[in-house]
Parts: sequence; structure tokens; C-alpha cells
Amino acid sequence: MKFVGTSVKRVDGVKKVTGSLKYVDDIKLSKMLYVAVKRSPHPHAKILSINFEKALAIKGVKDIITGDLFTKRGGLYLEDKNFLAVGKVRYRGEAVVAVCAISEEIAQSALEFIDIEYEVLPAVTNAKDAMKPDSPLVHPDLGEYKWAPVFFPVPGTNISNHYTLRKGDAKKAFETADFVVENEFYVPHVQHVPIETHTAIAQMDADGFMTVWASCQSPYAVRQALSEAFDLPLNRLRVLSPAVGGGFGSKAGTTLEGILIPFAKKFPDHPVKLTYSRQDEFENAYVRQGLHARIKTGVNKDGKIIAVENEFIWDGGAYNEYGVNIAKAAGYASAGPYDIENVYTDSYCVYTNHPVGGPYRGFGMSEIHFGIEQNLDMVAERIGIDPVEIRRINGMKPGGVTGTGEVVEVAGLMECLDIAVDEIKFYEKSETVSPTKVRGKGIACGWKAPSMPTNAASSAIIKLNEDGTAHLLVSAQDIGQGSDTVMTQIAAEVLSISPEKITIRTGDTDQTPYEWQTVASRITYSAGRAVFEAANDAMNQLLELAQIKIGLSKRDLELRDGYVVSKIYPDRKVAISELALGLTFEDGSGIHGPIIGRGAFIPPNVRNADKKTGLGEHPVVFWTYGAQGIEVEVDLETGAVKILKVVSVFDVGKVMNPQLLEGQMEGAIAQGIGTALFEELMLKEGKVLNPSFVDYKIPTADDMPEMVIKFVENPEDTGPFGARGVAEPAMVPTAPAIANAIYAATGIRLNTMPLTAERVLNAIKAKNNG
Amino acid sequence: MKTFEYLRPTSLKEALDILKNHDGNVSILNGGTDLIVRMREGHSSPEVVMDIKKIPGLDQIQVDEDRITIGATVLLNDLGLNEVIKTRYPYLAQAALSVGSKQVRNRATCIGNICNASPLADTATPLLALNADVHIYGEEGIKTVPLKDFFVFVRKTVLKPNEIVTGISFKQDPEALGIFTKMSRRKEVDLSTVCSTVMRTGTEYRISCGAVAPTPVRLFKTEAFLSGKTLTGEVIEEACKLAEGEVVPISDIRASEAYRREMVGVMLRRALSEWL
Amino acid sequence: MKTMIEFTLNGEVVECLVDNQRTLLKMIREDFDLTGAKEGCGAGECGACTIIVDGKALNACLVLAVEADGTEITTIEGLVVDGELDPLQVSFIDNAALQCGYCTPGMIMTAKAMLEENPHPTENEIREGISGNLCRCTGYKKIIEAIQVVADQNKA
Repeated sequence: MKFVGTSVKRVDGVKKVTGSLKYVDDIKLSKMLYVAVKRSPHPHAKILSINFEKALAIKGVKDIITGDLFTKRGGLYLEDKNFLAVGKVRYRGEAVVAVCAISEEIAQSALEFIDIEYEVLPAVTNAKDAMKPDSPLVHPDLGEYKWAPVFFPVPGTNISNHYTLRKGDAKKAFETADFVVENEFYVPHVQHVPIETHTAIAQMDADGFMTVWASCQSPYAVRQALSEAFDLPLNRLRVLSPAVGGGFGSKAGTTLEGILIPFAKKFPDHPVKLTYSRQDEFENAYVRQGLHARIKTGVNKDGKIIAVENEFIWDGGAYNEYGVNIAKAAGYASAGPYDIENVYTDSYCVYTNHPVGGPYRGFGMSEIHFGIEQNLDMVAERIGIDPVEIRRINGMKPGGVTGTGEVVEVAGLMECLDIAVDEIKFYEKSETVSPTKVRGKGIACGWKAPSMPTNAASSAIIKLNEDGTAHLLVSAQDIGQGSDTVMTQIAAEVLSISPEKITIRTGDTDQTPYEWQTVASRITYSAGRAVFEAANDAMNQLLELAQIKIGLSKRDLELRDGYVVSKIYPDRKVAISELALGLTFEDGSGIHGPIIGRGAFIPPNVRNADKKTGLGEHPVVFWTYGAQGIEVEVDLETGAVKILKVVSVFDVGKVMNPQLLEGQMEGAIAQGIGTALFEELMLKEGKVLNPSFVDYKIPTADDMPEMVIKFVENPEDTGPFGARGVAEPAMVPTAPAIANAIYAATGIRLNTMPLTAERVLNAIKAKNNG
Repeated sequence: MKTFEYLRPTSLKEALDILKNHDGNVSILNGGTDLIVRMREGHSSPEVVMDIKKIPGLDQIQVDEDRITIGATVLLNDLGLNEVIKTRYPYLAQAALSVGSKQVRNRATCIGNICNASPLADTATPLLALNADVHIYGEEGIKTVPLKDFFVFVRKTVLKPNEIVTGISFKQDPEALGIFTKMSRRKEVDLSTVCSTVMRTGTEYRISCGAVAPTPVRLFKTEAFLSGKTLTGEVIEEACKLAEGEVVPISDIRASEAYRREMVGVMLRRALSEWL
Repeated sequence: MKTMIEFTLNGEVVECLVDNQRTLLKMIREDFDLTGAKEGCGAGECGACTIIVDGKALNACLVLAVEADGTEITTIEGLVVDGELDPLQVSFIDNAALQCGYCTPGMIMTAKAMLEENPHPTENEIREGISGNLCRCTGYKKIIEAIQVVADQNKA
């Protein structure tokens, strides 16, 4: 292949290095109005009255709105959310009143003249407590809400989704197991921290046509949500996502866009803008949900795991419209990448008065693997085998059966594990550095499936130009992962024209075709397949015309370097530029017209699992497997952990662009290290204690270890050129591998993230004190 | 950010007049890396912002035979990369370079770091150990206050509204050896969880710590214990115990009181062990 | 209250009547439409707004616009000379040292100032030198490599 599999340079590179790419906050339009939001100071309270007369009287303030004007609830999977609070607030920071003014400063300064009277309600600030029968209810009317039928809210409780997986007979298996190991783990809330905060602009034309610019991962999902919330027909609502400064899940779905629509409607022709501050981003964008996990494993002396029982309690925060699916994804992945006969899992998404939980890279997998992979090491130790051996015995192999009862044909886990073990030199003892600093190595595996509806669709259009160049239209969003480049490579490969001859356009629901969402590590796979289909469609049209022109059968023709060429007589050819607008005969007549390739894709045969047991033949499109080996150094006197080396190996199906793929793997490791060592959204009685970079630290260049990135390529049949998704899975094993390495170095087990110096030191002292 | 009058005096006298004329409603703008964030967050809304960077002579590190003076507008990077400071007082250079990022240190000043009076001011511990003096210009001319007496409480100093710090100086001590240690959650661009400077000059020891009390502090009791003693493992252990007892840290989101206390011991033990 | 200032911006002498409370970042973005520098935090913690003032890399969000009076400022937009990308810009593309691109202008400006000051940094000096620029996408490895490549060119 000429383009696929090579490190084609980013097609968006020049715009990004010159600073000329316009992100939403960079867009300047005339007659712009600005919005500021008054937010709740309480985690849970009834709104008794709102008085904004004084604020409205301020010069430059155009309008002020409250939630009681827009009482229709919305949400992706469960309709539990309003853009502005209606009747009560459910987390500290919830938007209550929005001010629209002629400048940001005026809008902001008007907020202090708005008086809101609250009746404070008891707050639910712990997900385990929220499960108790006497807990206050965050959504007492849950029973009246609408939800997608694959979710199971329990009205009258705080449970927004109760997912169950029942495979085999775990209870019985535990009775026969030689050993049973049970542990609890806690993973706190974390923030995505894209460097670009959320921002949006909305503008309505005089004729009622609405345009929204949003820094979002999924313009079609935003269009759908806004259409429903404001009864705007889809043909009169255009959502553009011109560029996204990092997403990681936080810009999936909708967050702030809805606040702008009422103002845009009221002031036609005026663009209305809202940009989140960094504090807003920490408090009011989606957060990664907290997780309380209990994992119980039954194992035989020979190392074969015969049963697992899991209980996951997800702290979904005030609104769980998206979070319910994380509980589901965690539930169906709860056996981990292991072939286990008996699985019993309950995964609960639970309402609390915490910031709103939502998708974060990994979609629950990083959180559950922190427990699964540590528990597995403890199981191995208990029966006296090493961490690699237990994974070799139980790890998924081709022909194995997943926790949901699906037989898998492709599973490169063992190859990944072998390479990781080899590269980290797992069986060689770490160097001894000093009496107060010790080193150790850890291993962890991971898996993830795209967590999306069974029928999530993609589409693509390719238009050929009369000079032999082409336009590729998709709504797969380049949120940094490089999809613009990879989509271009796929089209270039099929059409056999160089990537420079293809211009890709994305992110415009009026101009670029449907894409469900840029999430779930599904874009290279799904949108890529749509591009592949579109390019093939264009190719077929070219071959049809060329066979008439050249007089050779189409099956003997192929595309090569901008020409349709005979496979047998290479000098018989026609330039695709000649056919781009159709075939013209010598008498001047023509046929067919412009070549426009169309591609559409839904992953085939993915079906809902059984509602009660969670079992199904093919409930997810594919699984991505991988393993990491990590070496750490622990300072025994301070507890500080230094990551020395990370080896990351994944079965990606097909490496589409080695350089970009490495970038995904390296970025995933950075986020894995950050969350493992110091990232935590600290919450106290519903208040975020560290809503800034001063006290919420993410890794800098100085925190990064040596990284070794390797790939295994067992092709995914339905993916373009065999590719499958990997950007999220790449983060999954990092935190548990670090925890396992710390254990190897010190003999301490930490069941709570992050693994801060103080926690590590306390555990070391507890161990030394016996 | 609320609007304000922006004034840029070109002499100390002019600066003093501005302070007097506005009766305490003036914020001095030096590097601004702290002030601008505070103004933006509404913690500070001065009527006048007085930029002192154009006052001549304040941007020098003056090296005299017996004294070194750091001018009020000397940048942290200029201090940390100064050849004399780097060679003779590396612990002060390290402390200066441990503040914020390269970009912040290109703007932030040592004097600003001191005048903010944060309990965890990184440059405070080496300067406390060096027995530095703060030079203050006011109506009565220049006066000098020992740094240890300059800090009053969290973000409070003895500085009066009509006074400006012109610099900080310390007596040259060619024999002094010092070790600066900063412990933080993240190695680069982070606030100190705790920090310290441990200094030995002759048979005397000076120990100062940040983030263990409302202001950066000297540990005089521990110093007195060590004074004149020959260092042994036992002496060091005893000193560490004393130091852990002498500090009064609090628990906050960065660390617990107990952890901070213990780290004071670790920092001291590691520093003193270098001289065993 | 407003102040009239004059300074050199990407090689051109310019004037501006600015609000005293306006930050330098806001001025170059709003008054000069140079939107390469981004506001990532407004507190000097992320480096997305890094520009070069009188040869030094600064966080433009931590400087008042009025303080720019009399200075010489270079922003990312000033690195392209006669249509030619700066070697750092070329190297960032070649080494895939960017993903979402939001931190990229600030990162390149920090690297630019660093190499002006120290043309031959060690890998560690590069790591420390860019630690005031947060990137959430790349894991930094390729950024460090991209800067190293230009530093090596300096040697040759």
C-alpha cells in the first residue's frame, strides 16, 4: 500500500503550527453578544425565588433568562437534564440564570445583581450512601422521565441504571473454588482538562434559521439535542464544529450550547457567545465519574479463574443522561480480557449532588481495570504463580468466550502480553539504586469495546474535481487524534491519488454527511469504513466510464497514480481528471456527469444483549486488547513515585499511520500517569476544592518516562484495511500497571487512586509497623 | 477585572507620592504574576495600579565585597541564572528557579515572591537562612527590617501602605553551605508541599522551612541544638525530631499536617547527612 | 480608563488605545486579531498564551496590555517570514508534535525563546524548559523530539 500504513504528515499541520486555525473562541463576528451564567452555590437546594430586575436594568444587559421558561428535559440516553435549573439545583455550580449583554464584562458584572433565594436540601455526596433506602432523592420524579430501553433506572431510588450480567452460576463456582480473593477499590472523579475550554456561539437569521458553532466532538449529536429541546426542525438548524482543542469525551454530547439558543432566538442576526473559564471547565463540564468497586474472584490451584463477582457503584453526579451508559459498558466489560465461565455483575449508575459525570477516554474501563488488574495480581500471589502466568492462563485467546458469552475469533492479547513482558524485561530484577529508593515492575492488561448504540452510523462523500483532485466530506471530527489525516489516507489509497490532492472538510451538519459521534475510539474504524466505501463507489464509477473509454472490461482496470489503467496493457489508460465530470464522447455528447462517491456504514450484526442476563452473541462491534509493562521507583521516605519506563502494546488490527498512532499511545500514557499519580477532582460536601491548575495538576513534559510503543496487527474484518480503534484502550492498563509496579517495589497495595506520595508513604509505614 | 488608573513612576520619590496621594488604594505592579490573577478573580480591586518597573536602579543584583543586594524588580530567572548567585549561593538560585514556569519567572520577581508573604514562598527559605534584610523606602527614607521580622502572617507583612520595598540584601558568607529542598506533587511548576533550606556556616546551622506555618520560618530551637555539635547519625535523628516538633503545619488539599511534619524531618535528615 | 500605547508587533510599529484592565493576551487577540495565542487558564499555569516580549517568553494572560508600551513583541503569527515556516514549525509537523493544536502556538513560542537563549539544550533542559506549557494530547515525547531536531540543526 502506498499511503495507508505510512506516516503521512498531518493534513492540519500547517494551520496548527502557524496559529491560523480558528477555534470557536477565535471566531469574531459583528454584533456579537455575550452570555454569563449565575450558578448555584449549593449542591442541593430548592429555588424559591429569582430576582433579576436590578441586573436587567444595567446598561448593556440585553436579556436575562431562567430555567422555568424551558422546562423540557433532554439527554442522550436518559432525559433528566435541563440547560438551566428548573425548580431546584442538584450540584454546586449548576446554571440557574443566564445574562446576555453587549460585552463579556457587563454580562459578568451583572451576575452579582441577581438575587436567588434557595431552600437548602440535604445533599447526597457519596454514591454508596445514595444507594441506601433512606437517602434523600436527587431525582424524585425519575419514574416520569424517558429513557432508552437498554437502560434500567429504578424509580424511587437514586439508581439511574442497574446493569446486570449473569453468566453461568457464579455462586456455585465460588463454592468449589480453591481460593477466593475479594477486594474493594475506589477511583475518584477526574477532569478531562482539554486545553481549550468549552465554547459555543449561536446565531439566528431573520428567517429563523439557527447556526451554532460549538467546540464539540459530535455536531450531529448537538444538532439532535438542540432540535429536541427547542423544537427546531433539523433542516433549519446548522451545527458547525470548526476545530476542537482537545475533547477526551468532555465535548461529546452537549454541555453549554442550549443556554445560548433562547438569546439567539430573541436577538436575530446577533451571534451570542459563551466561553467557559477554566474554573467552569473543572466544575461544570463533564467529569469522569467516581467508582466504588468490589471484585471477588474464585480461582483453582492451577491458576484457572472459575468465577468473578463484581459490584460497581458509579458516582454519576447530578445528571446521568450519559453516565448510565458508562455503568453499562463497565458491566459488560467486567470480566476483563479474560475467559471466565461464571460471571455475576451488578453495575449501578447513581445520582449524587456532585458535578455531572460523563464520558472520559476509556468510558469506565480505566476505572474498573484499576481494580480488576490489581485483584488479579493478588490472586496470582495467593496461589503462588507470577502475574504474567495468571494472565497467560486466563487471558482471552482466539476462540475464547467473553463475559457476555460471545465467542471471539480475533484476540491478540497473548502476543501483546509477550511483547510487553519482553520489553520491560519483567523477569529481570530492577536495579538497586539506594537504601531509600526502590524499584519494581508491574504488568497489566486491558480491553475495551466501542461503547455505542448497536446501530451507530457513519457516512462519507467524495467529490472528484476536473483537475484530478478531490474533496472528502465527513463529520468525523479531528479532535487531535488525526482523523482528518487518516480519512484522507484511506481515500488516497483507494483512489490512488496522493493525499495532497484531497481536501477534507468536516464538522458542518449542513455540508458534511452524518456521523453519530466522534467518541468510543470508533472513527478510524467506522468513519474510515464509510470513507473506504465512498472511495470504492467513486472508483467503480470511474471504472464504468473508463471501460467505455478504453474499451477494456472494468475487471481488467485499476486506479493507479491518477489514472484508470489497464492491468494488462499499462499504456492503455485514462486520467481520472478526464472522467471527473462524466465521460464525453468525440461527438460532444456526454454521459454520467460528475463523479460523487457515497459511503455509509453501520457495524454489521451487532445486537442488543439479553436485558436480564446481559448475554448476547455479538453485543459489541469488537474488542481491542493490549498490555503494558511499567517500571517505577518509589522513595521510601517521602512516598514519591517516579515512573521510569512504560511499554505499551496493543492489537490495533492495522497500523494506519505509525506516527499518529504512536501519538495516541503516548498521550494515553500521559493521561494514565496523571490520573494514577496525582489527578483528583477533590470534592467536599459537593464543592470542588481544586478547580484550577494550581491544585489540579496534569503531567508536564518533565513527568514523562521513557516510552516504548509496539503494535500487533490481527485484522478486524469489517474495519478499513483491518483497522480497529485503540485511542481509549491505550490508557486502560496504565494506572493498574503502576499500582502493580509499586507493589513489586515496596510490597504495598493501594486500593484508592491517585497514588499520591502521602498515600504511598502511609501504606509503607503501615506495612513496616506490621 | 475592574478598571483602574495605571501609573508608571520613574523615581522612588514619585512612587511614594503616588502612594500617599491615593491613601492605601494602590496596588504595586511588579511582575504582576500574582496581582493580575488576584484582580481578575476579584480578590483585589485597586483604584491605582502603580508599575514600578521603570524606576531606575531597582533591576540590579549588586555584588559588593561583603554584601549582595537584590533589587526590587530583579526577575526570578535573572536571580537564578546569575553567575555569582549560582556559584556561591546555589541554594538561592535553585529556590528562585523552582518558582512557577520559565514564563512566570521571566516576569515574577524575588521581591514580589517575598512581599506576597505566602507561607510557601520558595525564595524565602534561603533568604531567611542567609539572615537577609529587607530594605524599605518610606517617608523617613530607607529603613531595614530583618526578613524574619518582615513576615507577619499569611499574606501579611510589616510593610505599611506608604512604603515600598526597594530590595533585599544579605551579608556575603563564603563559608556557608546550603541545601534547598522543595517537595511538591509534581516536580515542575507546582507549589511547595513543603520546602526548606538547611545551611551550615562554621559550626552553626540555620534551618528554614516553608509551608509549615503561617509564614516561612526559621527553626531556631533545632538550630540551637545543632550549634557546635559534631554531626553523627544520632545527632541528626535528634535534630529531625526537634524540627518535626518545632513546625506548626496545617492540613490542606496538598498534604496533611502529619505528612508535612514528617517531610520536615526527611528534608533535614537528607541535608545534614550530606555533611556527615 | 484607557491608555495610549505604542509597541512593535511582529516587526511592525503599532499603536493602541487600550483599557487599563485589558490583558496583553486580550489585546493581541481582540484588538489585533492575532488569535494564535490562546487563553487556556488565565492564570499563568498552562502556557497556551505564550508570546515573546523583548526576547523573553511570557504568559500574555499575566501581563497588562499597558505594560507592552515600548516593547517588541513576537507572536506565533510573526514566525512565518516571507511565507517560510520557522524551522520549529516545520519540525513540529515532521515529528507529529501536535494533536489538537490548542497548546501548539504557545509551545512553539516557548521553544523559540528557549533556543534563542540556549541553542543546544539537553533533553532534560528541553523537558524543564517546556514544563510551563501543558499539553493534554501528546504525552510530550514528540514535542521534545521536534525541539531536539531543531537544536541539532543549530549544532550543524
